[in-house]
Amino acid sequence: MIQYAAILLFVLGLYGIFISTNTIKMLVSLNILEIGLNIFIISIGFNYQGIAPILSSVSDTGLIYVDPLPQALVLTAIVIGVGTTALGLAFAKSIYQKYQSFDLNDMEESL
Amino acid sequence: MSAVLLIAIPLLAAFISILFKKYSIYLLFAVTIFNIANVFLATEGIIIIGGFSPPLGISLLVDTYSKIALLLVNALVLVIAALNVKAYPKYGTILLLVVAGLNGLVLTNDLFNFFVFLEISGIAAYLITASNKKPITTFRYLVIGAIGSSLFLLGLIILYSMFGTLNMVDMIKEIALNNNYQELVLPFTLMFIGLGVEAKLLPFNSWVKGILGHSNTFSGPMIASVYASAMGFVLGRFITNLFNFEGMLLTVVLVILVAGIVLSDIMAFASKKSREILLFSSVAQASMIALLFVNGIIIWAVYLIIANALSKTVMFMIINKAQKDVGSDEVKSLQGLFANNLVIGIIFTIATLSVMGLPLLVGFTIKLNFLTELADAGQIWTIAFILIASVVEGIYFVKLLLKLWYPEGNLIKVNYHLSFKLVFAIIALALLTFGVYQAPLDKLDNTVDTVMEVVNNG
Repeated sequence: MIQYAAILLFVLGLYGIFISTNTIKMLVSLNILEIGLNIFIISIGFNYQGIAPILSSVSDTGLIYVDPLPQALVLTAIVIGVGTTALGLAFAKSIYQKYQSFDLNDMEESL
Repeated sequence: MSAVLLIAIPLLAAFISILFKKYSIYLLFAVTIFNIANVFLATEGIIIIGGFSPPLGISLLVDTYSKIALLLVNALVLVIAALNVKAYPKYGTILLLVVAGLNGLVLTNDLFNFFVFLEISGIAAYLITASNKKPITTFRYLVIGAIGSSLFLLGLIILYSMFGTLNMVDMIKEIALNNNYQELVLPFTLMFIGLGVEAKLLPFNSWVKGILGHSNTFSGPMIASVYASAMGFVLGRFITNLFNFEGMLLTVVLVILVAGIVLSDIMAFASKKSREILLFSSVAQASMIALLFVNGIIIWAVYLIIANALSKTVMFMIINKAQKDVGSDEVKSLQGLFANNLVIGIIFTIATLSVMGLPLLVGFTIKLNFLTELADAGQIWTIAFILIASVVEGIYFVKLLLKLWYPEGNLIKVNYHLSFKLVFAIIALALLTFGVYQAPLDKLDNTVDTVMEVVNNG
C-alpha cells in the first residue's frame, strides 16, 4: 500500500515539474518526486514483523529483520537530493539576479 | 597499482584544491597525468573494496573496455583544461570532480554506486555549463538531469527488489537464470531513459540545445566530447551486458535510435547556426553509438566513440573560439573564417570529413565496418536509414565547410593560439593515420570482451 503512495508522490512531483514555469516551484516538485522515490526505496526493505537490523548478543533465531540496505541507500539519496536542490536554488537565485523574476515565462524573450 | 586510486586521488585532490585555489588547475594536470599512467599499470579483474567479497561490498571492474574509456576521458580532460588554462583557470576543483565521477562511472561494478557517480559527474556538469552564463539553460539541464537520474534509481531499485543484489556481475547471472524478460521491461526502460538523458539520446535530450547551443571553448568540448564519450561507454556496458533488449522493447529502442539519427541530422540540416549544426550532429552520433551497442557491434561502437570525441573536441573548440571573437555563431557571420586560418581550416575539414565518413579517414573505416556487420545481421532497414542520414549529414557539413572556406565581403579575423593548432594537428593526424593504418584497431578488437567473458576468464 505504501508503495502506491510513493509512486503517487513521484508522479505528482513529475507533473509539478512539467506544468510549473516558476523555478522555485519546479525545485519543490523535484523534491516531492525525490521524497516519493525515497519512500519507495524504504518500502522495498520494510517488513511489518521485522525489527531493526542491529546485531546483539541475544540469540536471533526466528527473528525477522527489515532489510538495512535500502535504508543506507536512502540516506545517500537524500544527501544527493539536498546537494542538487542547493545547486538548483543557487541557479534560481542567479536567474533572479539577471532577470528579476523566478518565472521562466517572463524571460523567454531574454533568452 | 590499484584502480581505486583512479577515483580516490581525484576526490582527495578536489578537497585539497579548495585550500589552494590558485593551484587547483595544476593539481588537476598532475592528477590526470597520474591517472593516465595508472591506467597502464592497473591490474585487470574485479577489485574488492573494504574487504567485502562480492556480491556484498562495492567492487570495481577493470578490463580493456574500461581502460580505453579511462584513457580517453582523462586525456581529454587534460587537453581541454590545458587549452583553457588562461580563459577558465578557476575550474580545477570542478574538473577534479569530473575526473572522479566519470572514472567511477566507468569502473564501478555496483549499481547504486553507479547512481552516486552519475550524480557527482552530473553536478560537476551543471557547474561546468554555468560558464556559459546562461543560468536558465543550466537550470533546465539540472532539472532534466535530476529527473533522469531519479528514473534510473527507480529502475535499479525495482531490479534490487526482484533479485536482491546490486552487484552488476551478480545481477547479470541472476537475470540469466530468470527466463521471463517481460518482468524486466519496466526497470530496463526506466534505466535506459535515465541514461538516455545524460547520453543525449533523442527524445530525452531537450537540454542539449540550450547547453551546447550557448557553449564556449571549455563547456562545449567537455559536454560534447568528455561526457558524451564516458556516457557512451557506460551505455554500451549496460546495453550489451545488462539490458540485452528483446522482443517488443528491442523494436521500440531500435525505432527510437534510428529516428534519433535521422531527425537529428534533419535538424542539423535545417539549422543556420554553426554550434547548433555541431550539437545536432553530436546527438545523431550518440544515437548511432547506442544503435551499434544494441546490435552487439561493440568494437566499432568503441572506435566511433573515440573518433567522435576527438573530432568534436576540435570542431567545438574551433567554432566556439570563432564565436567568442566574432560575437555570433551564425554560419553567415563566420563566412570565410578559414581564409585567414589555413592550418585551422585544414584540421577542421579533416575532423568534419572523418565524422561524415569519407575514405582515408578513420570515420570511413568505422562506418564501412559497422555497415558490413549490420548487413551480416540482416538489418537492411537500419542500413537504409543510416545511409539516408549520412547523405543529409554530408550535405550540411559540405555546406558548412564551403561557407567557412570561401569569404564574402570583409574577412573576419580570429586568432588561434599556437597550442590550439598543435593539439588539433595531432588529433587530425591521428584521424588520418588510423584511417589508412588499421592494424592496431584489429589488434584491439580481440581484447574487448563482455563483462561475463571477463569474469569467466578471470
